[in-house]
Amino acid sequence: MTQPAIDVTDLTFAYGEKMAVDGVSFSLAPGETLGLLGPNGAGKSTTIKMIIGQLRPKSGSISILGRTMPDDRDRIQAQMGVCFEEKNLYAAMSAAENLKFFGRLFGLKSIDVDGLLERVGLLDRRDDRVSSFSKGMRQRLMMARALVNTPDVLVLDEPTDGLDPVSAIAVRDLVRTEAARGAAVLLTTHDMHEADDLSDRVAFINAGRILVINTPESLKIQHGSRAVTLRRRAGTKVDEQIMSLADPETPGLVAAALGDPDLLTMHTREATLEDVFVEYAGRGLAG
Amino acid sequence: MTAPTAAPREIPPTPTSDQEARHPGSASIIRAIVAKDTVAFRRNRFLMLITFLVIIVWGVLYQFLPTTVDETFSVGLVIEQGALPSELDISPEALESSDGTGVTVTLYADSTALEAAVDAGDEVQAGLVIPQGFAQEVATGQTPTVTMIVPAGLPAQFEALLSAAVAELGYALSDTPAPVDLATSTTIVGTDRVGDQLSLADQMRPLLLIVVLMMEIFALATLVAGEIAERTAVAVLATPASARDLIAAKMLFGTTLAFGEAVLVGILIGAFGTSPGLILIALLLGAIVVTGLGLLAGSFGRDFMDTLILGILLMIPLMIPAMAALFPGAGPDWVKFMPTYGVVDVLVGASAGTLSWAQAAIPLLALAAWGLVLGALGALTLNRRVARL
Repeated sequence: MTQPAIDVTDLTFAYGEKMAVDGVSFSLAPGETLGLLGPNGAGKSTTIKMIIGQLRPKSGSISILGRTMPDDRDRIQAQMGVCFEEKNLYAAMSAAENLKFFGRLFGLKSIDVDGLLERVGLLDRRDDRVSSFSKGMRQRLMMARALVNTPDVLVLDEPTDGLDPVSAIAVRDLVRTEAARGAAVLLTTHDMHEADDLSDRVAFINAGRILVINTPESLKIQHGSRAVTLRRRAGTKVDEQIMSLADPETPGLVAAALGDPDLLTMHTREATLEDVFVEYAGRGLAG
Repeated sequence: MTAPTAAPREIPPTPTSDQEARHPGSASIIRAIVAKDTVAFRRNRFLMLITFLVIIVWGVLYQFLPTTVDETFSVGLVIEQGALPSELDISPEALESSDGTGVTVTLYADSTALEAAVDAGDEVQAGLVIPQGFAQEVATGQTPTVTMIVPAGLPAQFEALLSAAVAELGYALSDTPAPVDLATSTTIVGTDRVGDQLSLADQMRPLLLIVVLMMEIFALATLVAGEIAERTAVAVLATPASARDLIAAKMLFGTTLAFGEAVLVGILIGAFGTSPGLILIALLLGAIVVTGLGLLAGSFGRDFMDTLILGILLMIPLMIPAMAALFPGAGPDWVKFMPTYGVVDVLVGASAGTLSWAQAAIPLLALAAWGLVLGALGALTLNRRVARL
């Protein structure tokens, strides 16, 4: 049996009197991507900080690659890559110098700087100082930095926050590739589409508690309605018809509609992750 | 449809061997951080500017400082017609001291010429006008008036010296013995520097070196504050590097930078001519003191301006011992308790060649204690600051 890459049990943390993380438990297998989904202040970043050893939990346990965090912090971090929400790169150094420096912190005498930069589309800016980089370029370099040590566990805190669509796609491709390589990926985001796109499972977190963990598909199906919406042209107006998939007549009606020249669109009515979150938390992800 | 719980892909077992999870070792991490800080320092225009300004300005300034001390007192003399007996030898050679040091005498034709010479200050520092009939009046018990011409600001002891010389001349002319005739011997406390006075350049050396050390508070504080403000320290601590490694690297970098620059400036201004060992140790301990202060300023500073202001606030009081050293005896006693007093004390004494290793032991120990206290305080403060990031 494969042991979990990350196993978190009953984790708690408080900032003064305020409980930021309250009994969080989950596990993550190697090669799996778990999206930690919640609004700002839900406890995502605090959970991440404890997992990467930046904060010591008030109670609970964290096991990463069979070792205990924070007791065995140094060894765990040797096998972990972290992409922070803030763009904490050395602006006076070039892209290559940043990667080489972090490679040395991992004890790596040489790293494939060009290969890493090529993966994030920055090879042509190899020797340019980070101070001249756009936000998107910095974020891509942050991703490259997180991969310097070919990590077994990859922790990504809002990796596409504020990125242009092209940079966001590049970052998501990297995440998929790393997961396919076998890295366990823990991803925090408040972007439901990103979580849906990248995650094998998502965990909804709100007010420091995990509300539910499941695959995006399961959640959407469980909480959506099994129906199809057909929109047809009706003179100068548009006519909308909703048909339940539970109705035995629906398949025939849908098949017939496909031959109707007035048919404009046909949609399933599955729930979005946002809908599911609202159902669990009673609030939206944006807040 | 995906299963409710993800089925892991076929992947290798989780690596747990020591080989795969190897920690690179603190020495390697510290070396990497120091190398990175060196790059950051080289690329910071402000730090490079102040560093090179200090080295160049100090080096050039030192070349213009007087390196010799004129210990002779030059006196102008107007001896009016009939003031002294004609058989008396009144040539400058006869009036000056036999060994050619101490007093030089220049004769002037009249008091107007003498006043002009004293005012110019190039040839003579003060002058005497021996009036007509001086010798005769002295011989008959009258009180002749000798005019003393002195510039503003002439130390009072020189005026007393001139008065005594005139009185001595009077006794000689009247053939009357001086009121008291004593044989004197002199005990010199410390090194007798007669004929070997410290020049302004010698006196300024310790001050220049202290300023160099102080300037590095800015350098280290700026780098530390940047690491905190940009939160790059968080990224470093997400690797096998610990807060202890980070702080050790900062201390090593700060101490090496301050010590290296002070030694470089010291070489440029010839500070290692006497007691180089003592001076090197004082500079090294001083570098540790300023490193601790740099860590403190950097930990509290939220941005560049904060760090600059904090650095200046720390620098000003620490310069007091160095300023006091320029005016011996002028500094209040509490100056001795300043962290930089030990550096100044040893540098001044060692530069003058008057300080033995035994005499230097106490100020060096005090300096080491300050280095320990401030280094530990700086490290603890930075550690707390990093932990709260």
